[in-house]
Amino acid sequence: MMKDQISALIDGELPVESADHLFIALKAKNETSESWATYHLIGDVMRGNAVFKADFNERFMQRLDQEPSVLSPSNHAPANKGFTKTSTAWSLAASVAAVMFVGWVVLQQQVHNHVDVAPAEIAQNVASEYLLAHQSMAPSSTAYYIQPASYSESGN
Amino acid sequence: MKRFLLGCLLAAKYLAITYPLATLAGQETPVLPNTNATQNPWLILQKASQAARELSYEGIFVYQSGASGRSVQITHMNYGQGEYARIVVLDGMPREVLSQGKDVVIFSPRNEKVVIEKRRGQNLFPALLPSNMDLIKTSYTVKLAGIERVGGRDGQLIILEPRDQYRYGYKLWTDREYGLLIKSQTLNERHEPTEQIAFSQLTLLNSQNMDWFQPNIDHDKKYVMEDSPAKNITPDDNTWAVTNLPDGYRKVDQVTRMVPGKSYPVTQLIFSDGLASVSLFIEPLVKGVEPKVGHTAMGATNFYANTNNGHQIVVVGEVPEATVTQIAGAVTFKK
Repeated sequence: MMKDQISALIDGELPVESADHLFIALKAKNETSESWATYHLIGDVMRGNAVFKADFNERFMQRLDQEPSVLSPSNHAPANKGFTKTSTAWSLAASVAAVMFVGWVVLQQQVHNHVDVAPAEIAQNVASEYLLAHQSMAPSSTAYYIQPASYSESGN
Repeated sequence: MKRFLLGCLLAAKYLAITYPLATLAGQETPVLPNTNATQNPWLILQKASQAARELSYEGIFVYQSGASGRSVQITHMNYGQGEYARIVVLDGMPREVLSQGKDVVIFSPRNEKVVIEKRRGQNLFPALLPSNMDLIKTSYTVKLAGIERVGGRDGQLIILEPRDQYRYGYKLWTDREYGLLIKSQTLNERHEPTEQIAFSQLTLLNSQNMDWFQPNIDHDKKYVMEDSPAKNITPDDNTWAVTNLPDGYRKVDQVTRMVPGKSYPVTQLIFSDGLASVSLFIEPLVKGVEPKVGHTAMGATNFYANTNNGHQIVVVGEVPEATVTQIAGAVTFKK
C-alpha cells in the first residue's frame, strides 16, 4: 500500500501536496524508507528519462526537511546496517560532514607528535586497498572491470 | 517495484521512439567514415576515440592482467542526445554497470543484497583514448604497423612508443571499417605485454530499441544505495604541494575519500598524461599506525610509499617505477 503510494508519488500521479502521511512515514519507518531509497536509486539509474518531474527532488527534499525528525531506536541490527546509514544520511548529512571535518582537524593536530612507530615495508594487502581506490578514480582504468564488488562497501 | 521498473522501461521506450526521430538524419549512416583512406596514425586514433563514444555497438571483450582475466559484455548506444551503456562482467563475481552520460550506477550482488555504487563517468574500454590527441602527442610517438585480425574483424595496428621512461608503450588495434578500438595492449619497459583487453565479438547496432538499458534486478532482494566513497572537497588548507611532476603529467582530479581499514579521510590526487594515470594518496600519520615505505609492483601497476613531514605518501599507477617514485618525491610541505 505504502509502496504503491510512493511509486505513484515518484511517477507524478500523486501530488506532493497531498502526501503528508508519506513524508512522516518515510522519516519514521525504516521499511518504507527502504522502498523509497530503492525507487530513488533506480530513478538515478534512469536519470534524465523524464520519470521525475524536473523539480521533484527539490520539492521532496524541502518537504522532508520541514517534517520533524522522528528518532526512534532501530530494531534492525547488523543485517540492516548499510541501509540505516543510507536512509538517515538525508537528515544527518550536515552533522556527519561536521564530524568528518572535526575529525580531520584533530588528525591535523596529531600530526606533529608521533612518528614513534618503525616503518614497515609496503605489504601486498595494504597495496591492494590503494590499488582499488586508484582504479575507481583513474580516468582510463581498464582494470576497473574486475574490481571486487566489496570495495566500496568496506570503504565506508 | 515492478511498477516502477515498468515506468523506467516505458520511459526508455519513449526515448527510443522520440529521440531518434529528432536525429534521424544522423542515424542513416551509423558508422564513421572508413579509416582506410586516412594514413595519419594520430587521425586514426582520433577516430577511434570518437567512434567509441558516437557509435552504437554491442560485443564481448576479454580483459587480461597477469593471471586474472574477465569476459565483459558491453552494449553502448548513442542517440546524439547522449550515451547509454550497460556493462556486465560475465566471469566470477557478477557486476553490472549502467551509465548514462557521466552518471554511472554499479550493481554488485553480494550475499543477499545488491550494492549500488555511484561513480563518475570514466574512459573505459573501448573509449580509452582521450578526445584530445594533443594530450598524448607530447608524451608518445606513433607509428602504423600491420593489419591483424581481432575478434573476426580487420584491425589496424598502431604502436604508441613512450618518449621517456615515465610511461609504458601501447599497442592499439582499431577496426578498419568502423574505426573503433578493438584491442589494446600495455607494454612494460622490456616491451612485454602486461595487460590486454580485446573484443572477441563485436557488432554494430542499427537498432533504436532501449529494452536492454535496465538493470537485471531481483525483485526479492534488498537494495542498498552506496554513496561514492570519494567527495570533491578539500578539507585542509593544502599544507603540501606537488612540484616537479614527470613530463607530460598533469593533475586531473583531487578528492577526499574513505579507504578501507581507515577511519579518517585520505586525500587522493589523480595525474594523467592522457593515457596513463597515477594516484597520489596523502594522509596524516596516526599514532599507532605503522607507516609504509618502499616499492612493490603488481602486473603493470607500481606502488611507492614513503613518509614525509608526518604524512604517509602512497603513489599507485599503471606506470613504470620511475614515475611513482618521482611523484612521491615531488610532494613538498610548506613549513
